[in-house]
This record gives sequence, C-alpha cells and structure tokens, in this order.
Amino acid sequence: MKIQTPGDDKRRFSTRKLAAAGEIAWLLVPPVITFVLVAAVWEWAVIFYEIPAYILPSPSRIFESLAKDQGSILRHSGITLFEAVAGFLIGSFLGALLGTLFAYSRMFAQSLLPYVIAANTIPVVAIAPIILIWFGHGIPSKIAVTAFLSFFPLALNMMKGLRSYDPIIMDVFHVAAASNWQRFIKMRLPSSLPYVFVGLKLNVTFSVIGAIIAEFVQADRGLGFVIMTAYRTLNMPRLWSAMLVSAATGILFFALVALAERWIIPWHSSMRKAE
Amino acid sequence: MNIDALKQEHSSPNVSDTLTFRNIRVVYSDEQGAGPVHALEDINLSVAAGEFVSVIGPSGCGKSTLLRVAADLEKPTAGQVWVGGETPKAARLQRRVGFVFQDAALLEWRRILQNIALPLELKGVRRPEREKVAADLINLVGLTGFERSYPRQLSGGMRQRAAIARAMSTEPEVMLMDEPFGALDQITRDRLNLELLVLSEQNRITVVFVTHSIHEAVLLSDRVFVMTPRPGHICGELNVSLPRPRSLKIRQTEEFLELVKQGTTLLQQAFL
Repeated sequence: MKIQTPGDDKRRFSTRKLAAAGEIAWLLVPPVITFVLVAAVWEWAVIFYEIPAYILPSPSRIFESLAKDQGSILRHSGITLFEAVAGFLIGSFLGALLGTLFAYSRMFAQSLLPYVIAANTIPVVAIAPIILIWFGHGIPSKIAVTAFLSFFPLALNMMKGLRSYDPIIMDVFHVAAASNWQRFIKMRLPSSLPYVFVGLKLNVTFSVIGAIIAEFVQADRGLGFVIMTAYRTLNMPRLWSAMLVSAATGILFFALVALAERWIIPWHSSMRKAE
Repeated sequence: MNIDALKQEHSSPNVSDTLTFRNIRVVYSDEQGAGPVHALEDINLSVAAGEFVSVIGPSGCGKSTLLRVAADLEKPTAGQVWVGGETPKAARLQRRVGFVFQDAALLEWRRILQNIALPLELKGVRRPEREKVAADLINLVGLTGFERSYPRQLSGGMRQRAAIARAMSTEPEVMLMDEPFGALDQITRDRLNLELLVLSEQNRITVVFVTHSIHEAVLLSDRVFVMTPRPGHICGELNVSLPRPRSLKIRQTEEFLELVKQGTTLLQQAFL
C-alpha cells in the first residue's frame, strides 16, 4: 500500500470534486456510443427488410411518437415514478424495520423468516389483484403493490448486514463500555450499509416493475396503463416509446440510489475504482 | 512459584496493584465431544502500577484469554480478578481498561481522528473536547497529518499506532495489549517497539503485553511471564532489571542476551 504524505492527501481532496464530475461525464460516453450504433443498425434493418411497424417500429417512428405526445407520456411516467418512489420508500422502511428485528431476535427470525421467504415467491401478478381489492382503484393500491415488492430485498439484506459486523470491533465497543444503542448506531448500522445498498438497488428495480404491473391489472393512468391501451389498439410505436420511458425512469431512479451510495459509504471497498 | 504462594495468603488484593489474577481457571465446554478445554489453570499474577509486564508463550497457551478475562470480554470459570481494586466488569464500565488487539480493528467508515476519539464519544465527551484529546494523541503516536485519512489509506503499522492512540484516549489505568505488533514486519515492529518503550516510560502506563517474541518481551518489560499450553499455566518468571530509559541498542548488551537466553530456556523447558 502506498503511504501518502499529508500534502498529497490535501491536493487530492481539493481536485476531487472536479475530477468526479469529469469522470461521470466520461462514464456516459461508451453507453451513448452503443445507443447510437444500435439505433442506426435497427433503423437500417427496419427499412431494408421492410419490417411492419406493429412488429418492430423503427427508432425514428418511436421518437416521432414520443415527440408527438410527449406531454401525455411524461405525465403518465410521472405518475408511475411517483408510485414507484412512494412504494420504494414505504417498502424499504418496513423492510429495514423487519430486517432489524430479524437481526436482533433469532426467535423472531426463525418463526417468521420462512413465511417472509414464501411470500416473496408469490408472483406479483397474483398478489396485485388482491391488493387492488383491498386498497381501491386509485394510486394508493399501486403504491401498496410496489411497497410489497420492495420489501423483501431490504429486509433480508438488512438482517444480513446487521449480523455481518466484525466481532473484534464489537470487542472494542464492549471494552469502551458502549450501550446497546451506541453499538447499533455507531457500529452495526454503519457495517450494514454496504448490504443495505444492495437491497435498495434491488428495490429500485422491483418498485418500477411493481408500479407498472399494478397498472396493468387496473389503472386509468400511468405507464402500465399506456402500454396496455397501446397494445389493445396495436399502437406499437407508442408502446415502444412508453417502454423506453419506463426504462429511462428506472435508470434515473437507480442512478439516484447509486449516487447516494457513493456519497454515504465512500469508505467501502466496493467504492474503490478498479485499477 | 513463591510469589504465587505469597499472593494466595492475602485475603484482599494488594491496594498498590493495578491488576491481580488469583487462582484463575478458564474452561471451555467441549463443542464436538472432544472433552472440556482448559484454557487457563491456576493463574496467579499481580501487576503493580506503572509496571510493564509481558506474557509470552506459544500459540494456544491462553495468553489472550488472560487479557480477555481482565477486560471482561470473558468470564473466568473460577478465581478472582481485580482491576484497580474492582471487578473487571466494574473497571470496564468505569473505562479504566484500554485494549489493543492484534488487528487494529479500526472502524473503516471513520476517519482516523474520529476513530481515536471513539471511546471518548461513547463516554459522552463533547465533540470539541474529544477531538482535542484525539489530536494530541495523533501527535503523540506520530500520525500528524493523517487526521482526515480513512484507515484503509494507512499502512499496517500506522493503523496499529492509531489503535494504540484510541486505547489511550480514556487514560486507562491499565493497557492490555494482545500481540499488537504480531502482524507487522520486523522493521516496523522495531520502530513501534521503540515508540511504545518511550511512551510507557514517559507516561508511566501500566501495561500487560502479550507476545510470541522473547526479544520484544525483554526489551519492553519489567517482568516477563512464560506460559505453557494445555492447560494454560504460568511456568516461569523473568525479572528484567535492565536500566531505563532503554533504547533498541540495549539489545546488543550482554545482560539483554543473557535474559533472552534464560527466557528461551524457560520456553523450551515448558515443552519437554
């Protein structure tokens, strides 16, 4: 390991923010190139093989459709994003709470964990109608489905994270006469954060899926609704544009959580740059 | 040992002693039906205030268990321990014990300054105050300039210095050090030995130091205890009357080499 001199350290810190901004910009270059290449080949293939739009619309048709009713698509995606974020927050909060109880009480974990895992394997298309009946036809039921989906990943990762502390560090806290609350807040919780972010990132994906599936089952707005109606009217360019927007929504949401991870646990080895 | 016999005659611990073990036995119940493991058997040992005592012996002889019992990290099966006239638990709750582990055991999410200030933070000392103490300790152990570094940015030797500074932050009456330099290379180890020597001589800290190295033990200590495994037992004692302050040069003197030879003999006898 390289030993840094203090001056070294300070220089690095002062230029870090600028460097980080440049780094993120550079990170965008390869995927953008991929995007342009794929779109070009796709466009060409659709024209060359004369593929009908209902089977595969060309990128230009999709963007045309997106541009034509961008106001409508944006409004619908806003609703879906709201449902996803609200469900994500509620589900993650409850998941963290349950995971903490599991980590602290072996009895509780042993008696409840099998059912939690069983519930986790229920297909969301089966549970969504039930939740819709319970919570009504508005946005709250979509949030409930989303929360249900983004509950387990964090519960399980939270439990694992809170149990994964270093026993020697527990000894350090013991010798320093730390209270149980101090052990939780200053040791077990920080040690669990890398696991927590694994759970949160899974929840992001699940929450967007959950919101859209709930809208499939029943909704009069949201991206799931747009996709469903576009399918029924065979308006495939609109369906494709809704799909692209839902992917973009998911990526945006994921990026936010990944950014939070960088900011909250910069010390963790997963945050180190690959050399 | 005559000393053992003497100690057993006292009905209460010697008030001038910072640390007293009396008839300590630690037995672990068998987990795989291999029979109970006698980690420690009939340990009698007293450490006076300001004294530097080393415990030396092969792996698995219970040296670490001895320290863990004093720090209330483990309960003895039989016998008594007094730390400054209190039970280990009371002494721990009064934060009179400092412990340095073989692993630096720093919190990787905290910068060095916050790591060293941790025991004071847990004690409820206010931020400006505890950070001032931590900053002074950083200078004392030679980590100036690394206050804002994360542990992973430091070398093994520097991390161990931070761990020592952390253990000293609450000004404990007794420092328990469990092979603190065991994982370091010889050059770094020499340097940290010298630093610990100066630190303990200038601050008159009471130290119980566990090590594999007879050289290290003789260099640092006033007394060296030799332990044998199965059951962990003290089989000999070495009085190190080398003058203080000492430096690394003392290792070339006749007296030093003679003590090392005696210690080595004791260790070998333990295995015959």
